[in-house]
Order: sequence, then structure tokens, then C-alpha cells
Amino acid sequence: MRGRGARRLERAALNTLCLGVTCFILAPFVWMLICSFAGEAELTRRPPVFVPTPPTLANYTFIFTGQLPRDPARHGIFVWQTSQEVRSLLPALRNSFIVAVSVMAANVLFGALAAYSFARLRFPGRGSSYAFILISRLMPAVAVAIPFYAIVQRFDLLDTYRALILVYLAFTFPFTIYFLSVYFRYLPAEVEEAALLDGCSRFQTLLRVVVPCAAPGLVAAAAFAFMTAYNEFLFALLLTQTIAAQTMPVLLAAVATNPAVSHALLAACVILAIIPPALLALLLRRYLTRGLVASIAR
Amino acid sequence: MTRERCYPYATVLPVLVVVALFTVYPLLYSVHLSVHENVLTRPHDHDFVGLQNFREVVTGYYFWRSLWSTATFAVMAVAAVALYGLGTALLLNQALLGSALLNVVVLLPWAIPTVISGIIWRWIFDGDYGVLNGLLLVTGVVNRYVPWMSQTFTARLCMVVAHVWKQGPLAAVFLVAALQVIPPALYDAAHIDGAGRWKAFRFVTLPYLKPTLGLVLIYETIVAIATFDLVYVMTGGGPADATAIIGWYAYTEIFRFLNLGHGAALALILGVMLLGLVMVYLRAFRSEDAA
Repeated sequence: MRGRGARRLERAALNTLCLGVTCFILAPFVWMLICSFAGEAELTRRPPVFVPTPPTLANYTFIFTGQLPRDPARHGIFVWQTSQEVRSLLPALRNSFIVAVSVMAANVLFGALAAYSFARLRFPGRGSSYAFILISRLMPAVAVAIPFYAIVQRFDLLDTYRALILVYLAFTFPFTIYFLSVYFRYLPAEVEEAALLDGCSRFQTLLRVVVPCAAPGLVAAAAFAFMTAYNEFLFALLLTQTIAAQTMPVLLAAVATNPAVSHALLAACVILAIIPPALLALLLRRYLTRGLVASIAR
Repeated sequence: MTRERCYPYATVLPVLVVVALFTVYPLLYSVHLSVHENVLTRPHDHDFVGLQNFREVVTGYYFWRSLWSTATFAVMAVAAVALYGLGTALLLNQALLGSALLNVVVLLPWAIPTVISGIIWRWIFDGDYGVLNGLLLVTGVVNRYVPWMSQTFTARLCMVVAHVWKQGPLAAVFLVAALQVIPPALYDAAHIDGAGRWKAFRFVTLPYLKPTLGLVLIYETIVAIATFDLVYVMTGGGPADATAIIGWYAYTEIFRFLNLGHGAALALILGVMLLGLVMVYLRAFRSEDAA
């Protein structure tokens, strides 16, 4: 038997480890937050100013209004002129939102319908179509980049939301189907059978009995689809050309790979861009983890 | 009755059509591209060249270099993600204040775009003004700034750190889920049988984790090999092609050198490689289950 002292020591060690990992996770965010309130001159010093005093809102002001800072020396007015692209952040975020929300809605609607059929119904072609949908996900994105471009061009959809939505649907459906069909299979079938006996159609049963029970799974599936679409880069880079449809990752990659970028402005962009997914991750944490658990605890 | 029979098809079809449109046709098209000459700077020559594109790609100097870079990155990244994920999962599974705290923030890196995690880490590791250099200088670990991103080995390491930070949480969440379904009675039994901490982990925890661990390894290998966003924003393949892993190489063949034939051939090789790896993993984990 180990003594109380040893146990207390062990708890302290484990708590310290937890704290260490938490710091590793949070530190990059914290540094970006600090940078976003700093002037360029404070960041391009060796070592950098770790606590900008006083913190400035000039970076955010410029992104939202285009107003130049009152203290040009602190903000390095020259790099601001070479960072004009950050003014497109808001339209890019709007594009990202429209695309991601559409993808999310379509995933919940069509994904739930199809997943329910795969989970509960027996029909010829069920096994092979299910396998086909899942295996399609193994294809590396780069492998089909050119054909995707060709398809989108043929439908005359280059530089539109619709192109991105279609492509992201093809990417997200497999996971949604897999995830939801596993989830549905674990719901008690008796209730659904009772509803069917009472004269409900399959669709009505799905709507009135299954959906309320599966709400956590549906929320998780929706969040996954939203994040996938919001975060995708390669095809957004390929299929959009102007700010009419360019999404946030494309714009930020362009800003960041510009060698004369203002790091303070870039940091402010990063902070603004991660607010939506970070909020989702914090608010829906339970649903997300519970959803993941349900999908693998066979 | 017919309505009842049509219902499953009506629900499955929309999904199937979208997925098929972006799977079957693109794959055929890729195969077609790969066996024809297709260089955008010579738009009028589209001769059938058989396997010449594959031959040229495979015998090229850059192919083997990029394979080597891919292998080094993938091995380091997958091992690091698995270890970090497992460690974090074990921490999360404790009844501690620290675990509760960790639980709140753990999903954050996973939720944000890879492009952004690349931007953040590149700025942290920056050789001229990076905060890592600043902190090391202030604490006296180094006496002048180290160009982390301009040396082969450290540049690879930087990418692995960024990758682990972003990918580790998902692995951790999966593994925590698997940890939580282990019946506590098994640990009691192991304790009664005189097993210590390590033995309980080795003979109770690990066997239970194996299917999930397999899943994590497969998934992370695919993600690591197909990494593209991170290379794009962090290193651009440099320094000296040290981080030009195969996904990036295929991209440059297509969009920098405009050789669609080479690009398609490379991409197909990449696809077959991934498929092969998945098969190997599945076989390994299934046969051990049977034994």
C-alpha cells in the first residue's frame, strides 16, 4: 500500500503535466492575441516586446474601417501599405460562412435521411453503396484536383459558392453517413417499430422519433461538416479567383506568404478568423466528444 | 407498397450522386491525364504516351527526395501524434482539477484551420523575430537567434510540432473514448493479481485501446502523407526541399511546372500508396485480434 504522501505527490505531478499540456495548447493563441494588440515596431525587435503597453486597437480598426493608425512609428506604416489585402478579411469571412453553413445544412438534411436508410432498412445495393461512399474518402485530394477543376469549369461554376459547396459535400458526406448510421443503429429500435405500427411512414418516424433521440449526434455531425468546410484550403485555392468567392483560408494564406506583411495585422486577422470555430469547439465540446464516442464505441 | 420500396433509394441517391460525381469521373480523368502528354506550356501536343509519365516521375531525382521527406515527416508526425494523443488521453481520463481544465481547451487546436495553425507556428519559429527565439534569448538558452526554419532538420521538426499541436487533440479524444469503456472491474482484478501500474497498463489498457489505436494510426498516416496546407503556408517546401513532401511535390508539378501528366501520375502513385498502407494496417490489427 502506498502512503498518502506518495499519492499526493502523484496527484501534484499529474496536475502539473495537465497544466503543461494546457499551456502548450493555449500558448500559440495567447501569443497571437498579444501580437494583435501590438504595433509592428514592438514585434520586430530582438527580443520582441512581450507585453505591448499600452495595448492598441489600431490593427482591428484598420481591418474593419481601413483607418490608418495615429502613431505611424509604432505601427510601421510602410508594411501597412503592403498589407492592404487584410481589408478583404471581412468579405472572405462572409464567403466562408455562406459556404460552411450551406454545407452544414445539406449534411444534416441529406446525410440524416441517407444514414437512417443505411442503418435501418434492407434494400438491394445497400452494402455496396455504403462501402462505396466510405471508400471514396480514401482518395487523396491532390489526386483529383485537376479533374475537380475540369468538372467545375464545365458546369461554368468557377469562382462561385456553389462549386465549393458541391465539392465540400462530396468530402463531408462520407463521414456524416458513417457517423450518423453508426449513431442511429445504437438507438433503441423498439420505439421506431411502435411508431411504424401506429401508421407512421419511414419518413415520419425519422422526423418524429429518431431525430429528437439523435439530437446530440446530429449537432456533432453538423459541427463537423461546418468545420471541414470552414477550414478547407486546397480546393478553395483552386476553384476561386476573386474575393467574390474566396474563402478565409485562401485570403489568409495569401496575406501570410507575402514577405512584407505586417505581423501585427496578420495576428489580428488570425484572431478574428478563429473565433467561429473556437466558439463551436468550446460550446459544443460535450456534443463533439460524445458524438465521437458514440461513433467508435461499437 | 412501391412507395415503401422507393424510399431507401430516394434518400440514398442524392448523397450517392454527389459522391460519385466527384469520385468516379475524377479518377478516370486522372488516369486519362496520366497516360497522355499534358504540359500546359505546349497546349497542342496531347499524344498518348503510355506509362512514360510514370517512368519520368519515378526515375526523377525529386521523386525520391520527396518520398524520403514524406517518409521522415510521416514517421515523426504519426509517432508524435500517437504518443502525445495517448499521453493527453491518459491525463484526461483522471479525476483531477487539471484534467477538467485540459478537457475544456483540448479541442481548440483541432477546430481551427490548418492554414491558420501553420501561420501561427511559422511566426513563432520565425528566425528573425520569432517569439521562441525571443524567449530562448531572454532566458539565456541561446545567445543569438537561431534560424529554425532555414535548417533541414529543425525545419522538419517545426512542421512536426505544428502538426502535432493541430492533430493531437483528435487522437486524444478518440483514445479517451476508448479508455472510458474499459470496465473498471478489470483494473481491480489486475490489482488483486498483484499487477503494478505498468502491468495494468500493458495487459488491461493497451489491449482495449488497440482497435482505436489502429484507427488513429491509419487516419493519422493518411493525414500526414497528404499534408499540403501546412507546407504551403509554413515552408513552401524549403529549405532545400527538406519539407517538400509528396502532396506538395504533386502540387508544384501541376501548378508551378504546369505538367498535368506528371502531376496526375504522381497523384495516382500517392493514392495507391495510401491505399496500400491502409491495407497493411488493417491486416496487422485484424490478425493480432484473431491470434
